Amino acid sequence: MSDETAAGRSGAAAGVAQGALVDQLGLSPRGHRGAATNPAMVQTLAALRRLYLLIQQRFPWILLGAIGAAAVGVYRNGGWTLMGQQIKNALVLGGIYALVAVGYTMVYGIIELINFAHGDVFTLSGFYAYLIAGFFGGALGSLATGGGLGLVAALVILFPITMAFAGLTGMVIERVAYRRLRDAPRVAPLITAIGASFFLEGLMLLVFGADNKPTGLSTWITGHAFTIGNVTVDWKDLLVVGMAIGLMIALGAFVRITKLGKAMRATAQDRNASLLSGINVNRTISATFFIGSALAAAGAIVYSMYFNLIQWSLGYRLGIIAFTAAVLGGIGNIVGAGIGGFIIGIIYVFGGSLAGGEWSDALIFAILVIILTFRPVGLFGVDVTTRA
Amino acid sequence: MILTKRLLPIFGVVGIAALSACGTSSAPSSSGSGSGSLASCQGTITVASDLPLTGGDATDGPPVEKAAHLAVTQANANKALGGCTLKYTSKDDATVLKNGHDPAQGAANITALSSDQSVVGVVGPFNSSVAVAEIPVASQNHLALISPSNTNPGLTQAGTNPDVNTASLYPGPHTYFRTIGTDITQGQILSFVATQELKFTKAYVIDDQETYGRGLATFFKKYFVQDGGTVVGSASLPGSTKQFQTQISDAQSKGAQVIFFGGTSGNGCGVIRSQMPASVPLLGGDGCQDDKFITDAGTNAVGAEVTSAPDASKLPTATQFYTDFKSTYNEDGTESPYTPYGFDAMNGLISAIKSVLLANGGQPPSDAQTFRDDVVQQLHSLNYSGATGTVAFDTNGDTTHAGFSLYTINGSKWMPKELLTADATGKVTVAS
Repeated sequence: MSDETAAGRSGAAAGVAQGALVDQLGLSPRGHRGAATNPAMVQTLAALRRLYLLIQQRFPWILLGAIGAAAVGVYRNGGWTLMGQQIKNALVLGGIYALVAVGYTMVYGIIELINFAHGDVFTLSGFYAYLIAGFFGGALGSLATGGGLGLVAALVILFPITMAFAGLTGMVIERVAYRRLRDAPRVAPLITAIGASFFLEGLMLLVFGADNKPTGLSTWITGHAFTIGNVTVDWKDLLVVGMAIGLMIALGAFVRITKLGKAMRATAQDRNASLLSGINVNRTISATFFIGSALAAAGAIVYSMYFNLIQWSLGYRLGIIAFTAAVLGGIGNIVGAGIGGFIIGIIYVFGGSLAGGEWSDALIFAILVIILTFRPVGLFGVDVTTRA
Repeated sequence: MILTKRLLPIFGVVGIAALSACGTSSAPSSSGSGSGSLASCQGTITVASDLPLTGGDATDGPPVEKAAHLAVTQANANKALGGCTLKYTSKDDATVLKNGHDPAQGAANITALSSDQSVVGVVGPFNSSVAVAEIPVASQNHLALISPSNTNPGLTQAGTNPDVNTASLYPGPHTYFRTIGTDITQGQILSFVATQELKFTKAYVIDDQETYGRGLATFFKKYFVQDGGTVVGSASLPGSTKQFQTQISDAQSKGAQVIFFGGTSGNGCGVIRSQMPASVPLLGGDGCQDDKFITDAGTNAVGAEVTSAPDASKLPTATQFYTDFKSTYNEDGTESPYTPYGFDAMNGLISAIKSVLLANGGQPPSDAQTFRDDVVQQLHSLNYSGATGTVAFDTNGDTTHAGFSLYTINGSKWMPKELLTADATGKVTVAS
């Protein structure tokens, strides 16, 4: 848990973490911790500190270099075909991670809480989609598989309804588990967040059983869109990536342009001042949960269309990976979370392809640790005035 | 209390005397004729099963559990132990945490069963990883453990699996038995199927990181290379893995003609099948052969070839079992090939108990540990004609007739294609 709380300090955390390290090394400029006197020691510590600062400042380039090296490795293993194939896989996974990561980052931005239930809202949305798709005796499914126009109609029905249900779920979670603890010590809502997560997982286990549930959504969209070299791109692939990027742009515009979006940014910046200037803070925070959960639902729908199977425990691991994406992009930063999602997708797939799939998870969490140690603000930092 | 302590050695001496007397005067192995002397038998003897019954394994354990239960019900109805009755206890080694079989839960179950003095033997476990946790507990408590389905060779044969320290599994006597062949045989047979029958030369191997899955994948690789094939790549993924495209893309780019999955359906065998191109076949072991695979794999299920326990559904010796199973549970009992093996494992155990009673003058040994030791001893020399054939074990506790059937999906059901056996040199022959 300490990782997450450390990440939680966002803007100030870099300074704090660095200060703590400097203090430990006895190099504090304030000199109130017993300063090292041995000159060799002072030199070593100074070198370590320079290394630390170097890694911190050059972090994006180091990451880029590592991904580049991995890409070369993948190319050497299987040429352009494998490379193209894996980039496609990475974008699909990355799109889903991005959609989930945005929910983490928005909630963090506005109430400085890691919403652990978010991964489970993702899974629950998958079940919503499954239920809605099968509601009128599977009428939606037959509409979708019937033909081009029917598919569009089915998607236009499925997406908003599922997203609305998921959004309401998010709002209820905020109302029940977080609102009254908004001014409590930070660990209190963290605990209720974990509680909400367990509750949702237990609920899904109870209602839908332990087995993988085939949602049937994978039959909705079939067929190849186009072929580049030896890599075949399916319509499904385009849908995932298009959905992720499209929704991200829409959200960015929403936060910038609309009144509610402005209210979100204001609340994120200073809750009390927002209150004073007449912003309904409760409603704004509810809206944030609604939007974050709705985006996770969009992710869950495209996930179901891609992988078909949904299981109660799915969101746990996927949630942690998406959370890493949010931290990588700079938690609180919406665009960062989106880009972070795609970068994590690339790392996950390239790493898995090169080092063997058993290292994929370890790699992701190693990156989480490295970011929290060297660059808690993430790749893009948080512009405090625009975070929401 | 004091009285009992003083009397115990006396009982012990009497017991040994009775045993040796039996050994000289009558032949206890002729089990059918001796029931007359069991009429005076008094008491309740507990037999148990430990299988995964819930979660991701809900299609694996329950039919075997029902079959084991049926064996006990029938034995009681037929008064197989004369005046003594059998009590049946069922334990579930699946947990919510693992969404299926959980070694820690299995060990806890065997500890609980061991501490119950009336328990003399257990049918189970289903999974090799659970067996690794349970065998030491059973061994320490002298409790017989008969698995219908553990295939990892390291459980009984030292040095066959680097992941399993066989010697450390037996702090006490060797009380572990199984009615199925090992993954050495299964690996040889799968390699034979891949290279000789399907004519593949390039395979990509994935395992689920568990004792069973890793072991099977290792043996498959070994024999596949021996038979002239090339393993173009491999990956070892945790059972919670839901996305396999990275590995599938790798396999395709390396020209793999087949993907081999060492693992169970609960750990992704059906999931990976659902994400593979239908044109690439999937090869796997007995962990994949269940209904969960078919549900998970969906429209892609066809094109999977897996080995599992020798199909008994067509054996004349099993007809009665399937009829009884159907009339008791209103299920065919053919969903899992292991179902009749659960029945035979329990009947083998009951047969051993019966031999002990007969050898002890028709009464259960007064000392619980002596009773358990005697049951284990009788199991070592067991020769029981069951639904699946003769149930007998070698010195390692392994079944004496090892083979596997090859199954394919036909009309959304697993159908046996052929029975294959391997001899001691690893030469595979198609038996039927």
